[in-house]
Amino acid sequence: MLRLIVQRLLALIPLLFIVSVMTFSFTSLLPSDPVDLILGETGTQEQHEMLRERMGLNEPIVVRYVQWLGRAVQGDLGTSFFNSVSVSTALMQRLPVTLSLTLVSALIAVVVGVAAGIAAALRPRSLIDRLATVGATFGQAIPNFWFGLLLVAIFAVNLRWFPATGFSPLSASPVDWLRSVTLPAIALGLSSSAAIARQVRSAMVGVLQQDYIRAARAQGLSSRRVILKHALTNAMVPVVAVLSFQITVLLGGALIVEQVFAINGLGTLAIGAVRQQDIPMIQGLVLVMVGLVVVVQLATDVIYGLLNPKARPS
Amino acid sequence: MSDDALLDIRDLRVTYWGKSLLGFRGKAFDAVKGANLSIRPGQTLGLVGESGSGKSSIANAVLGLVPANGGTIRFGDVDLAAMKTRYPPDVRGQIQAVFQDPYSSLNPSMTVEDIVTEPLRVHTTMSRAERRTRAVELLGLVSLSEEHLERHPHQFSGGQRQRIAIASALALAPKLIVLDEPVSALDVSTQNQIINLLYERRDELGIAYLLIAHDLALVHHISDRIAVMYLGHIVEEGPSDRVYRAPAHPYTRALLDAVPVLDPDAQRRRRASRKAAPARETPRLAAQGCPYRNRCPFAMPRCEAQLPPDYPVDGGGTAACFLFEAPAGQGSARLRLVQA
Amino acid sequence: MKTVPSDGPAAAPSRRRRGASGSAAIVVVAGAILALLVFLALFADLVSPYDPLRQNLIASLQWPSAAHWLGTDDLGRDVLSRLIHGCRIAVIAAGEATTIAILIGVPIGLFIGYRGGWWDWVVMRVVEAVVSIPGIMVAIVILALLGTGLHKAMIALGILFSTSFLRLARGVVLAEREEVYVRSARVVGASGGRILLGHILPNIAPPLIVQTTLTVGAVLLAEAGLSFIGLGVQPPDASWGTMLSTAAAFMDLHWFLAIPPGIAIILTVLSINLIGDVIRDGVGRGITVAARQDAPVASFAALADVAPSAAALPPPRPDEVLRVEGLRVTVSTADGGELPLISDLSLSISKGETLGLVGESGSGKTLTGLAILGLTSVALRTTHGSIVLNGRDLRTLPRRRIEEVRGNEVAMVFQDPTTSLNPAFTVGSQIAEVLRAKHGLSKSAAWARTVELIDRVGIPRPGERARAFPHELSGGMAQRIAIARALSCNPSLLIADEPTTALDVTVQQEILDLFRDLQAEFGMAILFVTHDLAVAADICDRISVMYAGEMVEMAEVDALFARPRHPYTRGLLSAMPHASDRKPPLPTIRGSVPRPGTWPAGCRFSNRCDFKVAACERRIPLTGTDRLVRCIRADELVLEAAQ
Repeated sequence: MLRLIVQRLLALIPLLFIVSVMTFSFTSLLPSDPVDLILGETGTQEQHEMLRERMGLNEPIVVRYVQWLGRAVQGDLGTSFFNSVSVSTALMQRLPVTLSLTLVSALIAVVVGVAAGIAAALRPRSLIDRLATVGATFGQAIPNFWFGLLLVAIFAVNLRWFPATGFSPLSASPVDWLRSVTLPAIALGLSSSAAIARQVRSAMVGVLQQDYIRAARAQGLSSRRVILKHALTNAMVPVVAVLSFQITVLLGGALIVEQVFAINGLGTLAIGAVRQQDIPMIQGLVLVMVGLVVVVQLATDVIYGLLNPKARPS
Repeated sequence: MSDDALLDIRDLRVTYWGKSLLGFRGKAFDAVKGANLSIRPGQTLGLVGESGSGKSSIANAVLGLVPANGGTIRFGDVDLAAMKTRYPPDVRGQIQAVFQDPYSSLNPSMTVEDIVTEPLRVHTTMSRAERRTRAVELLGLVSLSEEHLERHPHQFSGGQRQRIAIASALALAPKLIVLDEPVSALDVSTQNQIINLLYERRDELGIAYLLIAHDLALVHHISDRIAVMYLGHIVEEGPSDRVYRAPAHPYTRALLDAVPVLDPDAQRRRRASRKAAPARETPRLAAQGCPYRNRCPFAMPRCEAQLPPDYPVDGGGTAACFLFEAPAGQGSARLRLVQA
Repeated sequence: MKTVPSDGPAAAPSRRRRGASGSAAIVVVAGAILALLVFLALFADLVSPYDPLRQNLIASLQWPSAAHWLGTDDLGRDVLSRLIHGCRIAVIAAGEATTIAILIGVPIGLFIGYRGGWWDWVVMRVVEAVVSIPGIMVAIVILALLGTGLHKAMIALGILFSTSFLRLARGVVLAEREEVYVRSARVVGASGGRILLGHILPNIAPPLIVQTTLTVGAVLLAEAGLSFIGLGVQPPDASWGTMLSTAAAFMDLHWFLAIPPGIAIILTVLSINLIGDVIRDGVGRGITVAARQDAPVASFAALADVAPSAAALPPPRPDEVLRVEGLRVTVSTADGGELPLISDLSLSISKGETLGLVGESGSGKTLTGLAILGLTSVALRTTHGSIVLNGRDLRTLPRRRIEEVRGNEVAMVFQDPTTSLNPAFTVGSQIAEVLRAKHGLSKSAAWARTVELIDRVGIPRPGERARAFPHELSGGMAQRIAIARALSCNPSLLIADEPTTALDVTVQQEILDLFRDLQAEFGMAILFVTHDLAVAADICDRISVMYAGEMVEMAEVDALFARPRHPYTRGLLSAMPHASDRKPPLPTIRGSVPRPGTWPAGCRFSNRCDFKVAACERRIPLTGTDRLVRCIRADELVLEAAQ
């Protein structure tokens, strides 16, 4: 297993390199000069030059990249152009918010998706299958933020079961945290659970036709055992790949859903940063997201290896 | 003999590379480890071996589908191996192929006419009408008719599809057709139809075949010569009847002995002479030495150390086995002695 | 085409028909919705009752009324008019972004897929990097570069979604490049460009269409999302996303504001996705099913429901383990009928005996084995007959009892050992599992017995091999494991379905010897299914020859080979490669094996038989006592054996 992790880590090196180059070169692609962005029309020629020198913009681009990367690796992502806040600090404040939203919605998506997918696959064309299929089709067509609005209208405004807006940190009160995260997580998880349900169903139906399932049945193993052990283990192999992708999708979706519930997460930070062309902040956001995605991918690769012995390095 | 050969393969090596961690070329594996073969115009060479023997790699190298990693493949007066899969059109047109699976070897989106005349569109300036005439002619050669031209491959049975593949291979009147397991995906009752068809067209049109198959008996029916491959090496080569009736190399003998015959009584007798064998470990042998040595009942110490060269065998051909090192005639005598 | 995710199995015929009519209705409704959308987009100015931007602060946040069918928003603007103008933005957005995505993605994907090498490596790493960032974040970054606005947002989405077209095009090229017909095209000498454009490109169209519909749906959702957070369409322009953005601010006062644009988005995306699903299913069926499996043809003769005649039943034998009488298995057809695959099959096997079931493709031999175990696929039904194993008719047992019988009394070995062992578990655990489930052994006892069994089937280093995964074993080893598992509970009947067909001939011999050896020790009866008469000659005591779903001949092995009585048996024998060592022309049987549904009405072999007479047009019964044959001329014909 250690070999697998090391191998996957090595394979991630090109990815991380390219992402860092793309993120860095973002500065040079920007139509406006960062110095102009910060000083606006005001500052004098000398002020511009000084700032330019101070920001190291006169160095060759390769040197700047190495310096930037060196600082980034140590957790120094620079300071925001607009309020002189350290980017790392800002990100670290918001990260737990977005992360808890993403993880809870992923949990909902997996539980609902896998259960619905299996139920549908076991009895193709049955009522359950039809319901699951219709549900999945709708689930993928409903915008998460609209679903969020609907949930707010019903469960927060009308029934008052949950707060309409805001986020309570887990450390402060787990109950409040759960109440504040429930509605956004359901809104966010809907389309992913639909995607996972479809994938589980098709993988399960495919696996159930395999020879080794027939062979297990021929050995007289109980249906329950054949389905839950022999079929599900193999059906989860493609599902895990989809799951890894869905977590990326959820992370992106969280940025929008946060707006519905007025949650101060990375999304709010990102939208502000785009409007103000706050480059260090956007770079930081991209790096944090890629970092999260890399961790998720690594985890999925390991699970993938556990489920599928062929994927393990020999 | 190699002077008047149509196809002459010397020291052919075909290598595949695994993928390394970052997707670059990794570990090398030699599928063919220095093979020599020769086919005369209008003749059939049967190339026999079990899975993983490298027989299909030889076919692919001749067809230019994989590059040779050493050796020569002389075809007429050109060396195909030196061209690294980029054959000039006139050479391409002279070497055609029929593959094993008649279900995937025909493009499902094309009609029979398109499939059969594709080589003509690539290589000739024939008009559509001329091509159609030729297509009907070609279908006639494989016992299909004009009415089949507009149909798609999925409307045919396996045997018929293989006929279409053969018609397409015949379109440019090639000098050599590589037949890669042409009947092993077909029902027993239709296999012989295809074998007979191939045999008749060969004699009519003077085409040479390189016939790849795993079944010695089947190959024997239509081959002039037979070569037997084992783990990337050609261990025996010779006239078809001699190899089939008097196999020399211990592996060829084992191969023939393992094929069940249609006679329960004979099977009983053959069974009595052998015992239930445990499963063999996959041979993972050092590069030098005879590839068959760990399965060979006649293995000698020197088989470990040295790759046996090709020795002549009584009745024609060669065997890569030290048992035949003695002057011609004594080798087989010695083999009989050891067996007794 | 492997790149198209398939949402289910190849539908069973009856399901397919229902699905087809259902999907036609879906296409009509979804198509109508999309047509309406395009119509509204084109003629928004003519159709909408009000100017979408005209404010009327006195009449703000109104509920639907005759004047304002969908009410008014916070600034008193007519919601219906804004919704209709939103259609225009939706169409522009979807068209623009999808076109950009295709134009960027497809050519690059085709190029790197065909070219391979460094180009491919570098481009794919960049694509992976882009894909590893959440899509909305990529769009946000691009918008930070370009500034906000509809067209800029669509360029951003176009670039974002180009990665999926790129991967699709590349995937198709890579998959098709390995297809044998592309190899054939290369042998013919077609140039790279010709192969790419003439052979591969036509195959990209179906998945491309599917991907386009998926992308249009995704673009609509993404555009709405970007406009919702204020980075797409800018107010006061009416787009569904900006309308929802407004609605979000008034959820507590006037929730209805969120309903019309939400429904509009859902209906549009749903329609396009459903059409995509239908196309995808059609594509999947057209290429994978229709092309590979010949659909049953309508021209089959109706089969009279003949009850098995007493004469057709094999005489009782001593120590009978299995007795099958009058078995009939059918598949339901597209037109709702039942097509027989096996009809009127009777056979019996005694303890320690090996019965061969020999036939070509479509003869029903494999299906017979599966039917005995009750393991035929869902589309098939065993409609008639009894399957008596050790005195009990399996067809009358409840499912739970059949599960007990399987493994304990009857077990099966399949053709391909590498697919009949579960790839996710070690081979030892798969044997131990059976021992624990069926015999209730403890974990350690089961493992010890497993290693013993693996040793018994002739695998060296059994303790170590038990911990191997199936893919780590050679085909011969894996088949030995499968045999060990089948015999783990000492069944009285072993069904072996072409157990040596996937193996090399030298390995085949070892496995046949192993079967015989184990039979001598365990004393089980074996039903040995094979297409190879020579293998049957080696392993079987008696042989049943099957053709087109029925038994045509049954005899003791020596008698069958010495004096075949059915013309088909004779033809098959002489067509075997080893039957003679002469040069062509080799003996043949004319025509080809008929598919189920195309069987002749009388004797099913009659259209290929050299001895056909008028009487062969009728159904022929199986006759005889110790040898059975289904041929009315069996007595007058003297058929030579092959040798």
